[in-house]
Amino acid sequence: MSEIDSLKAQLKSLQDKALGLFAEAADLQALQDLRVNYLGKKGELTSVLKGVGKLPPEERPVIGQFVNATKGVLAEALEKAEQVLAAKASEARIEAERIDVTLAGRKCPQGALHPVQQGLNEMTAIFAQMGFEMAEGPEIEDEFHNFDALNIPQEHPARASHDTFFFNAEGEDEAMLLRTHTSPVQIRAMQACVDAGGEPPLAVVAAGRVYRCDYDVTHSPMFHQVEVFKVDKDVSLANLKGVLQHFLSAYFEKDVPIRLRPHYFPFTEPSAEVDIGCVFCNHKGCRICKGSGWIEVLGSGMIHPNVLKAVGIDSTVYSGFAFGLGVERLVMLKHGIPDLRLFFENDVRFLRRMGA
Amino acid sequence: MKIPFSWLKEHTPIEKTTQEVADDLVRLGHEVEGIDMPRAGVQGVRVGLIAEMKPHPDADKLKLLKIDLGDVEHLSIVCGAGNMKAGDKVPVATVGTSLPNGLKIKKGKIRGEISFGMCCSEAELGLAEDADGLLILPQDAPVGEEVGEYLELEEAVLDLDITPNRGDCMSLRGIARDLAADYALPLIEPGDEVVATDDSVAAPKVSVSATDDCPLYTACKIEGVKVSASPDWLQARLIAAGLRPINGVVDVINYTMLDLGQPMHAFDADTLKGDIEVRLAVEGEKFKSLDGKDVSLHTSDLVIADSKHVIALAGIMGSEPTGVTEKTTNIILESAAFKAAKISTTRRTQALVSDSSMRFERGVDPAMIAVAMDQVAQMITGLFGGEVSITTSVGDAEDLVKDKQIKVSMKRIESRLGIDVPESADAVLERMGFGIEHEGDALLFSVPSHRHDVSIVEDISEEYARVIGFDAIPAVMPALATIKPRKLYNAVESAVEQGFVQVINYAFISADEQRLFVADDGKDLVLSNPISEAMGVMRRSAFPGLLNTAKYNMNRQQAGVALVEQGRLYDGPMYERKETNVIAWLMTGDLQDDTWYAKARRADFFDMKGAVEAWLSARGLTARFMADDDAQGLQTGQTAKIFVGKAVVGFIGKVDAEIASGFDLDADVFIASINLDQLHTGKKAKFQPLPEFPSIERDLVFLFDKETTSDAILQTVRKACGQQLVQAHIFDLYAGQGVPEGKVSLGVRFVLQDAKRTLTQEDSDKAMQAVIEAMNKKFEAELRG
Ligand SMILES: [Zn+2]
Repeated sequence: MSEIDSLKAQLKSLQDKALGLFAEAADLQALQDLRVNYLGKKGELTSVLKGVGKLPPEERPVIGQFVNATKGVLAEALEKAEQVLAAKASEARIEAERIDVTLAGRKCPQGALHPVQQGLNEMTAIFAQMGFEMAEGPEIEDEFHNFDALNIPQEHPARASHDTFFFNAEGEDEAMLLRTHTSPVQIRAMQACVDAGGEPPLAVVAAGRVYRCDYDVTHSPMFHQVEVFKVDKDVSLANLKGVLQHFLSAYFEKDVPIRLRPHYFPFTEPSAEVDIGCVFCNHKGCRICKGSGWIEVLGSGMIHPNVLKAVGIDSTVYSGFAFGLGVERLVMLKHGIPDLRLFFENDVRFLRRMGA
Repeated sequence: MKIPFSWLKEHTPIEKTTQEVADDLVRLGHEVEGIDMPRAGVQGVRVGLIAEMKPHPDADKLKLLKIDLGDVEHLSIVCGAGNMKAGDKVPVATVGTSLPNGLKIKKGKIRGEISFGMCCSEAELGLAEDADGLLILPQDAPVGEEVGEYLELEEAVLDLDITPNRGDCMSLRGIARDLAADYALPLIEPGDEVVATDDSVAAPKVSVSATDDCPLYTACKIEGVKVSASPDWLQARLIAAGLRPINGVVDVINYTMLDLGQPMHAFDADTLKGDIEVRLAVEGEKFKSLDGKDVSLHTSDLVIADSKHVIALAGIMGSEPTGVTEKTTNIILESAAFKAAKISTTRRTQALVSDSSMRFERGVDPAMIAVAMDQVAQMITGLFGGEVSITTSVGDAEDLVKDKQIKVSMKRIESRLGIDVPESADAVLERMGFGIEHEGDALLFSVPSHRHDVSIVEDISEEYARVIGFDAIPAVMPALATIKPRKLYNAVESAVEQGFVQVINYAFISADEQRLFVADDGKDLVLSNPISEAMGVMRRSAFPGLLNTAKYNMNRQQAGVALVEQGRLYDGPMYERKETNVIAWLMTGDLQDDTWYAKARRADFFDMKGAVEAWLSARGLTARFMADDDAQGLQTGQTAKIFVGKAVVGFIGKVDAEIASGFDLDADVFIASINLDQLHTGKKAKFQPLPEFPSIERDLVFLFDKETTSDAILQTVRKACGQQLVQAHIFDLYAGQGVPEGKVSLGVRFVLQDAKRTLTQEDSDKAMQAVIEAMNKKFEAELRG
């Protein structure tokens, strides 16, 4: 056998052995060792090459090509074996990392906005979008702002029906009280406008706590109201109806029918109580609306000229509408909450359910 | 006001159903609270004859009755009443009947004896508030007939809520007038037959000194009356209208008040001394009211007096000694006009209310003074006999009933309503008694004496709105200013996002609970008429409310709560009262349940503090916390003041354990409060270029004295590192094995960065050296390992 044939045979058997080992390699590390063994600087292929020196010069390129071909075959086989092993390793890792995806996620603490707060936010947002500005006023009020300026003089029968909380007098000129409605904010907002040398138009929404000395299943001594009014030239009852219709439909998120019934409030003339089509029976009549299909939601009217006069606005030039609504009542209707007392018991189970 | 439907029909010939009339009344502005059906309410109750009566074998007080209802078989009924005998006729509720009090009659066994129904009292039939014994019916009552029909119970009674401006509608005639106008039906006028007078009876002598408050006073005398109970039909009407029959004379007066709206009064003439005087009371003057109250009068009270005593509080109530009883034979009738405001003042200051005062306060039609007087005199003499004097009258009757004239612009009315007023509306208003004349845009409007509530253009616009109907007014959106961009920011919302449940507590608490967190400095604002002592003072701390809410929830199987409230605190004294907006938190108990990844953990100070910091940070604010050992109700050593800038904006701490256990709270309770009015809005976020060069992070661990605060340490780190320090915090805290007593091992991690270049090893070495030196110098802290 010639020297060159012997080398070729060596290379062939080396290649066969290596391919066998590659295929059997257990993991990537073993493959890496084999790569060094065969293709490394001190590897077997290199040691075979050492025999090339014994060959006559004209035969060297021939064997060189042969060596390179073997190298190529081995490199390719290594590559493939690595891919196979990598895929296996990855599969194994993924299987090992399998989890129970039905286990509960790590909890973020869950808070809840009080349903009355949600109602207040929703309502004031609707009015703000309609262009009403927010105003605030004190809860501890004087009789002027809570009654007199609203055309409810001392001897007025309506004044007695307000169930007012009074404070222990301490040499005050005037009895102080907890406001029985948000209407005094109307007075304060108009006064502020006039005092600042301004004049209407005024479009204001005011929200907050109000107090009545009445405590039973359907009455809370503290509850919330939203007061809305607009004063301008030529404000009409039709405008009041327009704003009410828009607000009530926006709040209840559907087109609710509304009905205005003539009523009496000292601070408005004409006055109207406002009903909406019962949201429980879709206006058909049920136990909650006592079969009428209507549910009373708020009181409204055209601001009485005496009220405008009390704050120095000329009622022959300006007119206005005003209405006040009970927040709890509307929230109860919207969410089907059966009992007013739930709002102030503050049971977190109730609050979480309503606040979710 | 209760309106028996049959009575209403006597004033105007209505042909509509009660339900239709109720709907129309609502449209006209009269709230209908309900429709009672007294006759239908006792359907199934029939006239029964007691055919047999035997004692119950096992119960002394029970009787076994055999009742004949005209059917084939007699009914067995066990009855507990004692006022009946065999042969009596009584109302019998048969099985299946529902009584007005809600009782449903079922077959029952009473002490072993089966009962097939119930014999009824007046109370059980809804005819009286209480009764003892059965209602014994007249002997001629037809056996088996429905009792409701036999007693001619009202088919329907409308229950109206009359608004305070419509005094004219506190009567059948007033309601009928509105309906008749709406239906274009006639309003039937009271008879114009005048009572025959007898000159031999001397008319009462009357003088009026308080002419402003009593513009017209009329009185007459009736002699020789035999007062007895009023007839059944009259009593039935009073009961149906919600009034209790008293005696014939009083009943006639009440009947007429309901009928025509004019409240009157009758005195027993023989109890009066001298002439009648209408005057203001003398301060301290005594009066014993008909309902038995001793009243001390003021000079603001308008009274009717004889020469010795006050005999009536005008328009409100007569005195007890001068009232008409069954023994009275001579009476003096009063029919007068009293000023509404006057009656209202006395009603309020003396806390005396009557059906009369309700009407005078709301305004009574003076046109009915004479008509009512005549109706009452006729009814009394007709029913109980007697001779009537002529009527004494003091005041200008004609002036009182004159129409008021108002001239207004029709355009103004239309602009207020937002519609063109249709001509048809005028006819309805005219039928209501208004006079209408149009002259171009001018409207000449005359107002009759019964509508004292109409005096200005706005009132007239209301009358038009009422008769046109609010339904006919279109809904028109007004021109409103363009939407102003506005941040609807609510303090409580970010706390809720951090996991707190918002609660809303009452603004009043008990004085005792106030004292838990606020010293007794006399600055509480105290309610004079609280619901209860537990709601007696305005809160100056949100904590009692939060503690009560925590208690309520922890008693309902919660493992822990995290609560937040936004609201006001109220500080006195009244002359310098202050309402402060605050947000307040409370945490107690387990923050969460045991889970597969973590065990339950109880809330501690740093949970609370973290929440407050996160809340402030959401508003663009950072705070410093300084230990506060003097806060009332909070535990020394676990309480801090919260500073934003140089201002104290709130505090945070652990509630004293004794206080917490007073609210049944066993776990530590942490609270915090921030004064919202004192917070500025925070800095607006400003753009900064992102760092170009990498940062270096270094850790150093020192041994400090236990008392050293992390706040002081980090400040020193900041100073030592200067401009390059981006961030520093405590990353490790350890005390225990390997750390000497009184010391604590704290690890400080700090991050350095330069905006202009990459920091070198040399830079970081320099900074570390500076920190080590500063710690040594400031705290004598040694570097550990
Ligand atoms: Zn309904």
